[in-house]
Amino acid sequence: MQPLAPVFVARGLTKVYGAGDSRVVALKDVDLDIRQGEFIVLLGPSGSGKSTLLNILGGLDAPTSGTATWRDHELTGASDEQLTTYRREHVGFVFQFYNLIPSLTVEENVRLVAQIASNPMTPAEALELVGLSHRAGHFPSQLSGGEQQRVAVARAIVKRPDILLCDEPTGALDVDTGRLVLAAIAKVNAELNTTTAVITHNSAIAGMAHRVLRLSGGRIVKEEPNPRRIRAEDVTW
Amino acid sequence: MVNVLDIKVARDLWSMRLQVLSIALLVAAGVAVFVMSVSNYQALIGAMEAHYRNERFADIFVGMTRAPLSIVDRLREIDGIGIVEPRVAEPVRVIREDTNLPISGRVISLPAAGQPLLNRLHLVQGRWPDPLHPEEVIINAAYAEARAVRSGETMEVVLNGRLQGFRVVGTALSPEFIFATRAAVPLPDDRNFVVVWASEDAVASAFDMKGAFNDALMTLAPGAGPQHVLEEVDRLLAPYGGTGAYGRSDQPSHRFLKDELAEQETLSIVMPSVFLGIAAFLLNVVIGRMVEAQRGQIASLKALGFANRTIAFHYFKLVTAIALLGSAIGLVVGRWFAIGVVGSYGAFFRFPSLEAQLEPWLLVAATLVSVGAANLAAASAVYRIAVLAPAEAMRPETPPALHTFSWLQAIGSQRIPLQYVIAARTILGRPVRTLLTTVGIALAIPLILFGLYWFDAIDYMIDVSFGRIERGDAFVTFTEPVSADALYELRAIPGVLEAEVQRVVPITLRAGHRAYRTSATGLDSASELKVLRDSALRPIAVPSDGIMLSRTIARQLDLNVGDSVTIEVLEGSRAVREVTVRRISDDILGASVTMERTALNRLMREGSVANVAALRIDPGQSDRLWSRIRSMPKIEASSIKALWFALFNETIGGMVVIGALVLLGFGMLIAIGVVYNSARIALQERAWELASLRIVGLTRREVSAVIVSELAVELIVAIPAGLLIGQYLIELIASARASESFQIPAVIDRSSYAIAALLVIGAAIASFITIRRRIDRLDLVAVLKTRD
Repeated sequence: MQPLAPVFVARGLTKVYGAGDSRVVALKDVDLDIRQGEFIVLLGPSGSGKSTLLNILGGLDAPTSGTATWRDHELTGASDEQLTTYRREHVGFVFQFYNLIPSLTVEENVRLVAQIASNPMTPAEALELVGLSHRAGHFPSQLSGGEQQRVAVARAIVKRPDILLCDEPTGALDVDTGRLVLAAIAKVNAELNTTTAVITHNSAIAGMAHRVLRLSGGRIVKEEPNPRRIRAEDVTW
Repeated sequence: MVNVLDIKVARDLWSMRLQVLSIALLVAAGVAVFVMSVSNYQALIGAMEAHYRNERFADIFVGMTRAPLSIVDRLREIDGIGIVEPRVAEPVRVIREDTNLPISGRVISLPAAGQPLLNRLHLVQGRWPDPLHPEEVIINAAYAEARAVRSGETMEVVLNGRLQGFRVVGTALSPEFIFATRAAVPLPDDRNFVVVWASEDAVASAFDMKGAFNDALMTLAPGAGPQHVLEEVDRLLAPYGGTGAYGRSDQPSHRFLKDELAEQETLSIVMPSVFLGIAAFLLNVVIGRMVEAQRGQIASLKALGFANRTIAFHYFKLVTAIALLGSAIGLVVGRWFAIGVVGSYGAFFRFPSLEAQLEPWLLVAATLVSVGAANLAAASAVYRIAVLAPAEAMRPETPPALHTFSWLQAIGSQRIPLQYVIAARTILGRPVRTLLTTVGIALAIPLILFGLYWFDAIDYMIDVSFGRIERGDAFVTFTEPVSADALYELRAIPGVLEAEVQRVVPITLRAGHRAYRTSATGLDSASELKVLRDSALRPIAVPSDGIMLSRTIARQLDLNVGDSVTIEVLEGSRAVREVTVRRISDDILGASVTMERTALNRLMREGSVANVAALRIDPGQSDRLWSRIRSMPKIEASSIKALWFALFNETIGGMVVIGALVLLGFGMLIAIGVVYNSARIALQERAWELASLRIVGLTRREVSAVIVSELAVELIVAIPAGLLIGQYLIELIASARASESFQIPAVIDRSSYAIAALLVIGAAIASFITIRRRIDRLDLVAVLKTRD
């Protein structure tokens, strides 16, 4: 399946933190198009600006200058309410530290998002997709790190998001559990045609992408299409 | 080089400054109330003792009809007696142009040397009378101030039935008239009671007392006990109409002062101690949670190799800094309030000097309590975290209950929004912390109730005393017993709507070796202007024979219903009779002895006579009425309820109101501090979780619902619990502090409960608003970068 029209369009994105001596330029004049259903991997060392870029795309942060749009949603200059609605209706997040709610069970963590989405799948379906149906009644603290991250994936996809944003999803995991999580993400991308962006500093994961963006010093320094994608099971590091 | 951990202390204090300030204010409120109240109470005690010492307040007092001065030497010979001061003291009336009300008072002779040996005068203004000018007098400062009498003014005084002019040359304070009271008036009435100190010559000639005396003051020799001396004095003075010697505890001003001080003790020692204790407990709760919220930091320090001791010491510095800041604010504010409040006492407690004391132990005690409570909490919180392996401590706390109690899992339901499930599990999964927070909020409520209670108690006492028991508008006192027919004369005065007579007689009650000096009131059984009531305010009948005692007297004399007690009448016939105790009553209006009037008349071996009348009057005719009454020869004094109210509001009322307002203000401060900190810390502990909820798309309102519903549940439990605790504490304090002249009833009006609850709810809403602002500003990006 070949990606189609761009759904994400960013032009001249710049993000500056602090002022004066403590001024840090996290993103410098970044232009980016992401197409429907595309699987993108953003690679780069710490401080290269990849998380900042992802946060802006996900409506968690606002650029200092430049524009970012998702379909007809203008993300720059949007109010907090508009960004909340955007996240709620269109974006699924997976983070390095899972960010599950400790006092909710696995099923409830997933249902939490399902209850606020307009066209969700059932929590059971989402857990089935990540292979965790048997853990539905457990609390996060009773799960391994890989399992917790798969719950996070299930929580991200239960709303049938248009875009799935993953920030170092395997950063806290070992290879085997990491592969399970990556497989779940790839499955969602393939089966639901969810536009997917994965941040990593692990270049092995790049093999799974349609396209790899390399960031350094707040700029996209290289853009590589990947005609020969590998399966999550074949990723090694 | 500065220790890096010390830099962390400073930075933590700065970054948590609002929370630090709110905790410090909580400490400050507890310390301020404690320091203010205790130092005020000490000021009163100190001023009383200094006044008694400097002005040589007598130990023994005795009155008699008339005794020759030669007896004085025989008094001095009594074993155990120190100084003896004979004098002449008589009731007088003062006539003023500007009032129709009869003003009563006492004239007391001054020795030729001026200053007496005992019960000396503290000259406030003016000078001593010139011995060559017998018309020069000193009057009590309270009356002079109340009536704006200046030196040089003349005064029309009725001495022994004859009008005489005196010139006021000075005003003075005396230890025996700190409270200038007279019979049948429960409160000092400075406007209508005057003490006149005049030369011995003037007084003795007016009352035909040349070479004689009718009143004596004595001190006890060092080490002597009063019992033997009292008996000897009574024996010696019996032939001269001695009315029974008594000690300081029966001296009217001292007894009143002692009861007032007992009441002040409740307001100044008991309540503030409970107050400080609760503040310390709340500090404990708040600090404990504040330290627990730093779990990750403690674990990191441990992981880096810091010893538990070092970490504990680090937190010791942090919380000690907060507690010391609070104590310092509390001491300064408490001291400042103490000076202001002591100033308000001056109108009521007539002491030569009254200054707020601040004793070092008070500073040390208040500081130790707050620093101690803070560190106890910090130490136990650090310990709980330090016993964990660093790796475990670095993970966010997951309550073990979540694993072990399947019922927590059962809380979830498809129909309940999950933010409420989160709230419910947090509340139930951490029962100890929930309990502590709830108890903390609950205990803030009694602090507010303490303040409100005093207003209710005063309202209740006024309502009961003057609406239900003393139902007349005014009293008049006769110089000597008059025939009960005087009623008809009183009723005939235009403006008198109703009149009833009473017989009030000074007596000593004796049971075995115990004695109690008081007065007995004879009431007509059909009395409507004075209605006796039990503690439930049901009317009770006067026993037709025998006497009715109030509980404090019965307890002091160890008497029960059916026991027999000796009454020694201290006037007229000096009758000594045995009577039976028919009933023991509640002391709603203080200690009292009541009989049926004709029974008292029989006991006195007198006809149907009375010496007090209660009146209901038409306010429209009061001027004419009083000018008529003042012209009646046998009227000694009068007391008008409306004036009494005004007086009450100026003195006791004003004093208690200031104390209660201070208590109320600090109670509110603490309530706000506790609620705010509970919410603030809940947010701090949960910031990561709440931000995660925001990221996945929950709105601010939905996220706020988690914290708000947790606090709401705690409030719903805490408020009724707090109201009950408050009621219980007040009942406990009131019953422990009942004094002889007043019993402060444990009455709390419904509106006070409502106000206390509303104030706490208000504090909660204000806290919610600030918390909501913080939730709105949660840094979502920062949360993603940290594990917790």
